[in-house]
Order: sequence, then C-alpha cells, then structure tokens
Amino acid sequence: MFAYIVKRLLAGFLVVTLISMMVYALFWYGPRSPAQELCRRESNNRCTPEKLERYEEALGYNNSVTSEYGKWAKGLVAGRDITVGASVIHCEAPCLGLSYRTRQPVFEEMKTRLPATISLAVGAASITLTIGVTVGVLAARRRGTFADKALVSTTLFMSSIPYYLFALLSMLYLTIVYDVFPQTGYTPLTDNPGAWFTGLLLPWLALGFYNSTSYTRFSRGAMVESLSEDYIRTARAKGLTSRVVVMRHALRAALVPVVTIFGIDFAFLLAGTIFTEKIFDIQGIGRWGLDATLIKDLPVVQATVLFGSIIIVVANIIVDIIYSILDPRVRLS
Amino acid sequence: MTLPATEIGSHGPAEPELAPVENREVTGRSPLRIAFERLRRDPVAVVSFLIVLVFVLIAVFAGTIAKFFGVTTDTVSASSVLEFPSMLPKTGPPNHGFDSNHPFGIAPQSGEDNLATWLFGARTSLLIAAIATFAATFIGVVLGLIAGYAGGVWDRVISFVTDLFLTIPFLLAALAMAPIIADRFGTDPDRYAEVQFYGVIFILTAFGWMTMARLIRGEVLSIREREFVQAARVIGVPTRKILFREILPNLVAPIVVAVSLGLPAYVAAEAGLSYLGIGVTGRPSWGQTIDAATKWFNIYPLYLWQPVIGIVLLVVALNLLGDAIRDALDPKTRR
Repeated sequence: MFAYIVKRLLAGFLVVTLISMMVYALFWYGPRSPAQELCRRESNNRCTPEKLERYEEALGYNNSVTSEYGKWAKGLVAGRDITVGASVIHCEAPCLGLSYRTRQPVFEEMKTRLPATISLAVGAASITLTIGVTVGVLAARRRGTFADKALVSTTLFMSSIPYYLFALLSMLYLTIVYDVFPQTGYTPLTDNPGAWFTGLLLPWLALGFYNSTSYTRFSRGAMVESLSEDYIRTARAKGLTSRVVVMRHALRAALVPVVTIFGIDFAFLLAGTIFTEKIFDIQGIGRWGLDATLIKDLPVVQATVLFGSIIIVVANIIVDIIYSILDPRVRLS
Repeated sequence: MTLPATEIGSHGPAEPELAPVENREVTGRSPLRIAFERLRRDPVAVVSFLIVLVFVLIAVFAGTIAKFFGVTTDTVSASSVLEFPSMLPKTGPPNHGFDSNHPFGIAPQSGEDNLATWLFGARTSLLIAAIATFAATFIGVVLGLIAGYAGGVWDRVISFVTDLFLTIPFLLAALAMAPIIADRFGTDPDRYAEVQFYGVIFILTAFGWMTMARLIRGEVLSIREREFVQAARVIGVPTRKILFREILPNLVAPIVVAVSLGLPAYVAAEAGLSYLGIGVTGRPSWGQTIDAATKWFNIYPLYLWQPVIGIVLLVVALNLLGDAIRDALDPKTRR
C-alpha cells in the first residue's frame, strides 16, 4: 500500500511537472510578444518599441527558456524577487509570478479566489450526490415501472442539454424575470453567512441538479446490478428487512463506483467551474482564469491551468486509494 | 472431441441429413445491416435523424436559404434599423409586430439580421463539430491502434500521453490556448477570423482524441489475441494488412458509436467556447449570439431563444440518435 502510494505520487509529480513545462513553453513560444499587453496597460496605450524592449528584458524574455523555467520553478519552491519596471516585488514561497493586471503575486490572489470556488463546489456536489443517489436507488428498487422508465428518459434528455444553457436559462428566469431567487454572487461566509447562502443557493441548485442526472442513471445501474447479486438473496433469505438489505448490503456495494466518479467530478469542480462562475457572477478561480484570458494576463492563466491539473492528479490518486479501501476485491499494485 | 476432417472444411459431401427447408431465401445479414434495420424501426432514431438532417441541410444551404428570405449577414448601418437611444430594432420584435423582411427580427445594438446570423451560425457549429470529430477520431484511432497492436514502449508512451491530456482541464486549457493561437497566427487582420476558426478546431481536437484512443486501444488488445488475427500473423500477412483488413473492420461499431456520441459534445463545446468569448468571433456563431443576447434578455427574450433552441434541438437530437445507434449496434439489447 505504502509503496503504491509513493509510486503514484511520483508519477503524479512527473505529470504535473510536464504540464507546467508545457504551459510554460506555450506562453514562452506562443504569443508574438508576451510583454506587449503589460506594456500597453502600464503606459496608457502608448507602448513604444523601446518600452516594449525594456519590459521584455525585465520579464526575462531575452534569456533562454530553460533558465527562465528554472527561475520560475525555484520561485515556486523558495520564492523570488521580481523586478517590474522600476520596483522590486518580493514573491513568497509558492511563487507563480505576478499578475500583469494587479502586479500582485498570483498565489496571493488565488487565495482570495479559492473560497468562492470551494463553497460552490462543496454545495453543488452535496446536492448532486444526495439527489443523484437517492433517486437512483429509488428507481432501481422500482425497476421496470412507469416511474422508473420516465425517470431514465428524463435524465437522458436533461443531460443532453448543454450545461451552460441550463444554467443560463435558470439564472435568467429565476432571478431576472421572476424574482424567485435573490441576486446571485459570492459573499465570504465569515462576512455574512446569510448573504453567502442566498447568493450561492441558485448556483448550487443549478449545478447540483444538472450534475445529479448522470448520477441518477449511474447509481441506478450500479444498484440494479448489486440487487441481483447472490448475497442479496441470501440476506433476504435470512429474513432481514428490505430496508436493511437495500441500505446496508446493496447500497454499500453500489456506492463504490459512484464514489470513484464523484471524486474525479469534484476535482473538476474545484479546478474551476467557469460557466457557473460566469453566469452567476461568482468571483472564483474559473472566473478569474476567464477574465485573465480576455486581458491576456498570462501568469494568472498559467496558474489556473496548473492548479486545475494538480487538483485532478491528486484526486485521481485519492480516488484509487479509497476505491481499494471500499472494495476489498481491488488490489493496488 | 475431435472432428473428422470433412466437418471442418466446407468441402466434402453436402450434408444430406438436413431436410430441405421451405423455399425461403436465407440472406446473410451483416451486423451493421441488422443495426441499420433496427434503427429504421426505432421512432426516436428516425425523428432525431430527420432533425439532424434538417440542420445539415440548413448548414449546407445557409446562403441559399438566406437569399430566399432576402436576408444577409452584411453589416448594416445601425442607425437605419435601430431606434435611439434604446438601441432596439425599429421593426419586428420586441416592440413591433412581425416583419416579413426580417422573419427572426433584428439584433439590438448591432442591427444584424437574426435569421441570417442563425443560419450561418448553424453552418459554423456543424462545420467545426464535424471537422473536429473527424480529426479527433482519426488521431484517436491511429494512436489506439498503435498502442494496442504494437504494445511495449509504444503502448506505454501513448498511454502516458493519453493520461496526461486527460489530466489537463479542458476549459482552462482552452482558455489558455485560444488567445495565444489567435495572437500567434492571426497577424493578418483579414485572416484573423479564419485563424480563430481553425484555432477552435485545433483546441477541440487536441482535447478530444483521448477517449477514442483509450477505447480503440482496449478493443485492439482483445482482438489481437483472437484466432483469426493470430492465424493471419502465422501465415505471414503483413502488419499493415492485419491492421486494416483484420482488425479495423471489427472496430467499426465502437467507432461509429463514439463518433455519434462525440458529435453533439463538440457542437455544445463550440457554442460554449464562443459564449465564453474564446471561440470564433469573425463569423456568426450561436454561442456568440447567446452571449450578446443575455444582456437584452429582459426586454427581448426572443433574441436569446433563437440560438438556444438551435443548440438544444441539434444537440439533443444528435445525442438521442447516438444513443439509438449504440443500442442498435449492441447485440446484447434484443427487442
């Protein structure tokens, strides 16, 4: 087990390193002039070639890509000082560079954006899991009935609709046309728990409900399978109540694959729910990355991609370990 | 049990024990043919297919249809069709009745004709989705075949790259790449739209091939151990021929299913990218219209509903069709 975890962590580290190199190379070789946007912004649209030259030099674009990547990686571990224009800004240990827009260390900004995304992801994921598994189990117990068939086709239809349209229309109709929900947005929990809750309620419901359709189908399938296992018949034959049979015997086995998928989905939510954050105006990681893209704030974009990849790599490892604990048949090697 | 030689091959005396059945003609039907007949009898599949067909025709003949209704995507001077200062159209919805010159109305702010935008939006959507699906399928099948058949180092490298790409969050990566592609290759302002168009296809392809590669690799791993492939190898059939004549025909069903379920995902992704502002901008796109229409929704909901209905209808029809194709090709579902 321990050896397995170490092996997976090493492989994950390799993947993240490779992705960071790819992202770095993309930003290095990609834009014709990566400094142009920064130069234009800081000189009020009067970016002369000389100024551009100075910015490129300050950002290190005159050096070789390997030495700059080395500096960047070193900054990530030990922090570094960054010179922009005339000022020197110290960037603390996990240094991802300075935002072109605010000139603040990217990591500090990320910390202010994270709570919104985490709130959104946790709330939506709880709703998804609750609705999805409950409805899925109920449908599996009533397999073949009209209600079951209607449910399966409804969820199939629902998940065919692109998510962003579902979210957009629910936002427009439920907050603008009919005042069912208050204005959405993010208020820190510590500032005002009430506003935090009301502002996130609709995004939670929209994201949670939409995602629950696939969980309904999935847990229904898993449940149907585990209900037909021999040990369920044995449990019934022993005279256990149907409640105990379903909840303790069948559900436990059925939940194993659901947990796997849930782990990965949750990681993707944490990596940035771009559509949700744009539509419901929540200042989280996804929105941050999107805004940064539109103004070509390269260090921020780089940081969001890297952050998302790390979350997904880590989630994959955790899910595999949990899987082996939940399902004794799975051996890690 | 050992069989006498005569029973293995088809040569030898004809089997006299078999009583001649009625004079009914027995025709061999290939699995694809069976699947096709199942599809034809599935009402959901037929309706979805017809809807998709209509959209394809719209996409192909967008120009002709637009001309028939007398509408164009040409930029008009906004002042001639819009009221000031509300920026709402002078004729048609939301403030006036139906205008036969502009059946879908006029866009606020820009003054463009909605029907023309919608028609050419369908073209953009389907064209990008189709090219991206084709490219991603091609890459996925080739890499999957190599990984599954060659094995060893090839398999390990390709599987690693596949997992690597699956780790990168698609939307974030698209966010990172879209402006860079446009900036790098869109030097000529006249060709900027074209560059964006191919940029979107490139992004969709770059992050869309992995599932196909995994699927094909898995299938090839099991097929290559089957007797007919081993037999072909033993009698010295060249590898290229084994891949294309022995293995690939057995992969048609999974490829068709993956393509038909992948296409709607690409349609949705294309519109989603333009909605976020990182897709195509130089040509009409449904996603772009949705982004523009959101601001006007309160006074002009119809403006938003046009692209929404387009996307939902097309994506749902494609999805249901894909689902029906999967069921039809799956020998386990007997109806």
